[in-house]
Amino acid sequence: MKVVALISGGKDSTYNMMECFKHGHEIVALAHAHPPYNTGKEELDSFLFQTVGSSAVYAIAECMELPFFHKEIRGTAVTQELGYTVTKDDETEDLYALLKEVKEHNPEVGAVSVGAIFSSYQGNRVQHVCDRLGLKMLAYLWHRDQVELLQEMVSNGVEAILIKVAALGLGSEDLGKTLSEMTPKLLKLHEKYGIHPCGEGGEFESFTLDCPLFKKRIVVDKSETITHSEDQVAPVVYLSIKQLHIVPK
Amino acid sequence: MVNFTIDQIRGLMDKISNIRNMSVIAHVDHGKSTLTDSLVAKAGIISSAKAGETRFTDTRQDEQDRGITIKSTAISMYFELDAEQLEDVKEKTDGNGFLINLIDSPGHVDFSSEVTAALRVTDGALVVVDTISGVSVQTETVLRQALTEMIKPVVMINKVDRAMLERQLPKEELYQNFRRVVEDVNVNISTFQSEGIMGDLQVYPDAGTVAFGSGLHAWGFTLRQFAVRYAKKFGIDRNRMMKKLWGDNFFNAKTKKWSSKSTDPLNGNNDRGFNMFALEPIYKIFDATMNERKDEAFALADKLEIKITSEERDLNGKLLLKVLMRKFLPAAEALMEMICIHLPSPKVAQKYRCAGLYEGPLDDVCAKGIQECDPKGPLMLYVSKMVPTSDKGRFYAFGRVFSGTAASGMKVRIQGPNYKPGKKDDLFVKSIQRTILMMGRFIESIEDCPAGNILGLVGIDQYLLKSGTLTTEETAYNMRVMKFSVSPVVQVAVEVKNQQDLPKLIEGLKRLSKSDPCVMTLTSESGEHIIAGAGELHLEICLKDLEDDHAQVPIKKGEPVVGYRETVLAESYDNALAKSPNKHNRIFMKAQPLGEELTAAMEEGKITPRDDVKERGRVLVENYEWDPNDARKIWAFEPENNGSNLLVDTTKAVQYLNEVKDHCVNGFRWAAKTGPSAEEPMRGCRFNITDVALHADSIHRGAGQIMPACRRAIYASVLMAQPGLQEPIYLVEIQCPDSAMGGVYSVLNRRRGEVFDEEQRPGTSQMTIKAYLPVNESFGFVTHLRAETSGQAFPQSVFDHWSTMSGTTTEPGKVSEIVKGVRLRKGLKEEMLGLDHYYDKL
Repeated sequence: MKVVALISGGKDSTYNMMECFKHGHEIVALAHAHPPYNTGKEELDSFLFQTVGSSAVYAIAECMELPFFHKEIRGTAVTQELGYTVTKDDETEDLYALLKEVKEHNPEVGAVSVGAIFSSYQGNRVQHVCDRLGLKMLAYLWHRDQVELLQEMVSNGVEAILIKVAALGLGSEDLGKTLSEMTPKLLKLHEKYGIHPCGEGGEFESFTLDCPLFKKRIVVDKSETITHSEDQVAPVVYLSIKQLHIVPK
Repeated sequence: MVNFTIDQIRGLMDKISNIRNMSVIAHVDHGKSTLTDSLVAKAGIISSAKAGETRFTDTRQDEQDRGITIKSTAISMYFELDAEQLEDVKEKTDGNGFLINLIDSPGHVDFSSEVTAALRVTDGALVVVDTISGVSVQTETVLRQALTEMIKPVVMINKVDRAMLERQLPKEELYQNFRRVVEDVNVNISTFQSEGIMGDLQVYPDAGTVAFGSGLHAWGFTLRQFAVRYAKKFGIDRNRMMKKLWGDNFFNAKTKKWSSKSTDPLNGNNDRGFNMFALEPIYKIFDATMNERKDEAFALADKLEIKITSEERDLNGKLLLKVLMRKFLPAAEALMEMICIHLPSPKVAQKYRCAGLYEGPLDDVCAKGIQECDPKGPLMLYVSKMVPTSDKGRFYAFGRVFSGTAASGMKVRIQGPNYKPGKKDDLFVKSIQRTILMMGRFIESIEDCPAGNILGLVGIDQYLLKSGTLTTEETAYNMRVMKFSVSPVVQVAVEVKNQQDLPKLIEGLKRLSKSDPCVMTLTSESGEHIIAGAGELHLEICLKDLEDDHAQVPIKKGEPVVGYRETVLAESYDNALAKSPNKHNRIFMKAQPLGEELTAAMEEGKITPRDDVKERGRVLVENYEWDPNDARKIWAFEPENNGSNLLVDTTKAVQYLNEVKDHCVNGFRWAAKTGPSAEEPMRGCRFNITDVALHADSIHRGAGQIMPACRRAIYASVLMAQPGLQEPIYLVEIQCPDSAMGGVYSVLNRRRGEVFDEEQRPGTSQMTIKAYLPVNESFGFVTHLRAETSGQAFPQSVFDHWSTMSGTTTEPGKVSEIVKGVRLRKGLKEEMLGLDHYYDKL
């Protein structure tokens, strides 16, 4: 089946693309929702989208040599219930508009790749949008064991760095570290405080620099650490990618 | 000479009705250990000749050097009652041989956690009181502890020899002195006794629950002994005779009649029964021997049927007095008899103690086993302390079997203080390597140990920090955690002299913490190692143990400092808001003071997290004016799941809150342990969760999100509620002659001391002064006081209460200076973080 992949830039959307490929699907386009450019705000604290690192997501499309569709997030989380019904000005409608546009340009697309693992909140919304557009949702990571999944991503060549931390025990010193470097610490924090090792509860966000599907890879040249909210034990800090370039593999 | 074998003792351990587990407790220097030695002499472990000179139970060199007991020690003894004595035992007996497990515990206040640990495993207590100094501050403390643990007391009024030899008190004055001591003890008992189940616990000389004597000279008596002696002579019932020997019962030698009046107009003076029949022969012996009228003394001995050897006939003065008195009224006989007759067997005691000992429902199999003291029931064993072995770093676990039988090789569940039924925290399933009998300096292996007995265990020390419950029953709840009357309020920082010794120091600190129920060792964020203890002396002993035994490396120690408590002085002026790191969850919180009365009630264990929720709610509503809804929605007592701060859910109809309760409680625990001002523990605060907005999907409101949010909300709410500090205050009792009063007052004045009671002991120039003294001002107090009073004043300091200092931590002033000092010491930034650091915008 021809597939459009929803990507946030993070490891989960990347790894789910790899799973789609493994299951014989063909990824024909990438889609991404980004924060409004005019406000200059990088972290929207959205309930649905990862927005940190958004400005660099175009590079992933370049590395994969695929068409890139993007849309601005205008709505907010108006409906905060677990389930979703069509709501005006909800950020879910931005996702609908994005995928609708993809479908109009590529009528042959039959499915959407999405990296959700445990968030029913996000899963329900993507499913809702897919149903409305007659698309199939492909979420191969759904309800996979997170400890196992984290280790599997690392061993299958997903090279991603942490670009945001927001949980007990994580701090600015962890930003920029790769998944494989972070695995021992994440597993320890999982034991100690029950944080989700894949960051599914919003504990951290990542950005993929390379994976076997990429034809080229990304090198970050310049980034800046920005404190979103200060706290002694659980500061929220993110990395704003200022400059990058793409190198052939 | 040991007059029993371990096999014989093991046999006795099965006869539960004939076991007496008892502690010896007293104020420091009232003569416990010396008295205990005379008991041990009777049981035959050391020879009678040495009793009174060797402290059998003080096993450590420093105990012998300082002349004080530091650690409690257990000894098993054996005593046989005659038919007449057996008749007076009110409960069922099983033969005439009794096994007495005695624990001698320290009298110095700094070590009273040892007393608590001793009391937990015993059912009765011998309270020793010095005739001359009377009921002192530590006597009160230990009595209160005993009554809280539902321990039945009997009393020994000690050092009577000194009252007679040094003070030369006439008979009537000595009687009045005794009467006063008994009254003082009873006032304390009636104040502290919990109502109901145990009946009247006051002591009465004419019931045989008070003994008089001299531990040093190894003589002593209860009125029962004289009653038995005279009952035969007068041909009346011994129990009726005993009543005549105390109180206002007077005898007229001429008419041979009893009367309630001290004078008789026709037949001259009447004599008080006690003076005439109990004190008279004793005074005669004293008089004859001390005034070198040996013939008279020997005649008296003959009359009293005291057999004297030819060598003893050569003795003179005090030595002869000692021999005669010891043979006339052997202390061990009197005390053992009193113990066997009046203290309860485990079988009787565990019936009423069970409710206070067991946290679970009182009708489950474990509770039943405890109530019946059933050796065939499920194992319920409480480990009350750890005793270092000769093998460095290893400990015997010391405790008591309350139900079932503990055997070597048995597989048991080891439940630490944080274990909760059905969960796996603080739980190990391991085998007991060996069960042992601990007898002073010696240990003996035994194959097993049935309910009602005290024992030592080998091989479980690494699974328990200080104390805990051992059981074979999977559904068993914990035995209740001990409540200590002392708090570790004085701290000292330690470091190694040579950096490469650091691992040894860390290991040593672990061992120290295990070996002492009250000591606390912690490492601050800046890597500083801190030892906290009850007082200067306690710390001194801890440091010595650490350096000599536990770590065995040279150690540098800092100046002693006090621990503070952080609190709030008012209610938060607004709701404090904190968001989770992912910003998808919000917690609104308000802080308010709990009030000293309620805080104290919680610290005394009157209101606990283990109470029935409805019952606790009722008490809070009736006594502390709580809202009935709030009173039933207390989520946690922290820190240590037992603290004096409460987290209360006061929200109305919000979603998912119960699902994040554990995370909130964990955040609260953390915050309560290290407050926002100086990272000192919080005290006396109530935190109300007033509202929450939580993410609909549980994956987005995990522990990693909610814990920090709750902690943050608590900190913000504290900073919005006039954050304050409390400092620890000692109650100091000082005894001195009135000539030294000036010096005492001047020392107290210079140290912010506050005298609240001053009393002269009747008939003496001895004064007893009671004062409150900030612990912070107590360093070097003893030396200072001795210097100012030419060594005539003796203080005893015991932690009494926390006192709120005036001022807040956020405004310039003394309190914020203290906060800065503490922060610097802990390696934190000098300035505390402000509200904007914690308070999130909507």
